[in-house]
Amino acid sequence: MPSGLSIQDFVIFSPVIVLTVWGLLSLIIDLTLLAGQDSTTRNRSLGMFTLSGLVASLVLCQYISYKYIGPSPGTDPLIFFGSLNGGVLFNQFASLVILFAVLITCLSMVWNFTSHWGEYYAMLVWSAVSMIILIAAEDLLTLFLALETMTICLYLMTAMEKSKQRSAEAGLKYFVYGSVSSALFLFGLSLIYGLTGSLSISEIGLVLSSTQQPGLTGNVVGAVAVLLILVGFGFKVSAVPFHQWAPDVYEGAPAPVSAWLASGSKLASLVAMVKVMGGGLGSWAATSTPTSPGWVGLLAMIAAATMTYGNFAALGQKNLKRLLAYSSIAHAGYMLVGVIAVGLSTEPEEAAAALFFYLVVYGLTTIAGFALAAWIDRDRGTEEVEDLNGLARRHPYVGVAVCILMLSMIGIPPTAGFFGKLYMFMEALNVGGPDKVTMMGLVALGLFNSVVSAFYYVRILKAMFFRDTQRAELKWMGPEIALPLGLGTVLTLFFGLNSSVLLTDMESVSRSGLHITRRNPDPLDYNKPAPRTTRPSQLKPPEPSKPAEAAKPSGTTKPSAAAKTSAVINAPAKAEGPGSAASAKP
Amino acid sequence: MTQQIPLTWFLYFAAASFAIGLMGVLMRRNAIGVLMAIEIMLNAANVNFIAFWRYGTPSASEGPLTGVMMALFVVTIAAAEVAVGVGLILLCYRRWRSADVEEFDGLSG
Repeated sequence: MPSGLSIQDFVIFSPVIVLTVWGLLSLIIDLTLLAGQDSTTRNRSLGMFTLSGLVASLVLCQYISYKYIGPSPGTDPLIFFGSLNGGVLFNQFASLVILFAVLITCLSMVWNFTSHWGEYYAMLVWSAVSMIILIAAEDLLTLFLALETMTICLYLMTAMEKSKQRSAEAGLKYFVYGSVSSALFLFGLSLIYGLTGSLSISEIGLVLSSTQQPGLTGNVVGAVAVLLILVGFGFKVSAVPFHQWAPDVYEGAPAPVSAWLASGSKLASLVAMVKVMGGGLGSWAATSTPTSPGWVGLLAMIAAATMTYGNFAALGQKNLKRLLAYSSIAHAGYMLVGVIAVGLSTEPEEAAAALFFYLVVYGLTTIAGFALAAWIDRDRGTEEVEDLNGLARRHPYVGVAVCILMLSMIGIPPTAGFFGKLYMFMEALNVGGPDKVTMMGLVALGLFNSVVSAFYYVRILKAMFFRDTQRAELKWMGPEIALPLGLGTVLTLFFGLNSSVLLTDMESVSRSGLHITRRNPDPLDYNKPAPRTTRPSQLKPPEPSKPAEAAKPSGTTKPSAAAKTSAVINAPAKAEGPGSAASAKP
Repeated sequence: MTQQIPLTWFLYFAAASFAIGLMGVLMRRNAIGVLMAIEIMLNAANVNFIAFWRYGTPSASEGPLTGVMMALFVVTIAAAEVAVGVGLILLCYRRWRSADVEEFDGLSG
């Protein structure tokens, strides 16, 4: 129920408001204080200004998380008349998006690819704002607005590199593909509105689960709506039949913008996808009987095609940014398996937490990968894989860092990428019922694809470690590249060695207002609780204390969040059994 | 009240104009034509929203104006999209001296 508007809504939302104002200020400063300065000065000053705003907003987020966002199960996490989530989900993902934006701002200061710095940084900040709102949206109107604001900012950022013709081309291609997909998405939303009479995601979930049969049998309008919505999300996360824009745009855009597209935009779209498909349309996920299809079957085909195509197409790439683009398509395929697991799982919050874990790790490693591309782009103007030849001999620390990153992308044990894949695929295997065979097939395909992906990731390492080059040495990278590269590497290792820290955090996130429709494990017996074979976290050696306590002394920046998770985990989800059809708002 | 146009007419109209828009996107070669086709698709969805708002029954906790608000916001978004789209088309036109989407093929592989 929409409750009244209170001052606290604005307080919780204040990091986003600060960021919005900061974008306006950077435009004004560019036109007044910095008028007539040369491009380098304006880039530096506005970059530092944007960084200060982002850091202020990050600090504000942490303060609000400490002060206002209570873990108590009775409190309603919704703000602004129920249109946005204001709980742990909003706060943690806002911090994460802002952290990504900090790294992207650092990368933007590396070299002068445009002269419109005021507009560039304003677009960067505003796209971060709309990503946060997209993640927090509880309403399809808010969700669509945020999605559009985000992509419109990204179209412009893509076309910003003035010295290269390919940048303008990439911008226009992204625009055409993106706006067609939003139009398809919007038409799907209108059909959903017609079927349910509502635009609120949890309300749609309630209406569908109470009035309609599970699955999509005989429901032509529903099937068309699901298809259109999947096309829309498929474009945003670059899933395979709708992926054509991604390699061109990632190659054509300046490296920081490609990194932003691959990390922030994909993170926000996937979280929104989990909310809409798992929450709103959850009762259409699959089947009451083995023969009636749901959206899971369709998404399973998309996921299988996405990871296979992405990996095999990446094998032949010579351009580093294009290679990372195909790698990002392949990772989108793995993550779609996670989305399917959320739709089918009897414990969707756990499945969503595993997916979010993967998303965070993927975002950090991919930003670090694009930092490497930005470095060679600055000094050489190109970003071929062979430009990396001999890099590790001259800069051994960079060699070690990239080695860790590539191992994480492949999914080799000591790194976080391995645990991301492990948790997500274990959740996929925990699905019971008639779809179990599909999930086993998808996981097997995922593992096979991880092996294929090793070939092209190792090619980067081979160039860095074993090839020699006659070309001029790269200059020292400077702090702007060292920070994203270093932070990405350190966090990848840290979350690999302490994966429970991030996993408990993501569990507290996914328990805060995903409103995912729960599945009945056995359609014949609605009262039987779901038998659950293995929790992925049980695979690790048992920890002496609670995970939240273990998280505390390790010096993360979020002591308040860690302290809260223990309360959150014990409180709300245990209250409702797996038999209840939908977890509605209180 | 008896002479009301039935809901299905609106839905057929919206579906038809959506299909026209989609065909336009796929078949037009001029970038401005593609932009116009995208607008037709967005407006087809708007017709749907308004029709469902007028004829449908809103769910229990929903406000009375949801469909109309959505349509209004979509109009705003469409305007923003056109502004950005025309800007990008101009940028490409300056480089290629052409607005033909099939000529922008520098990136491939």
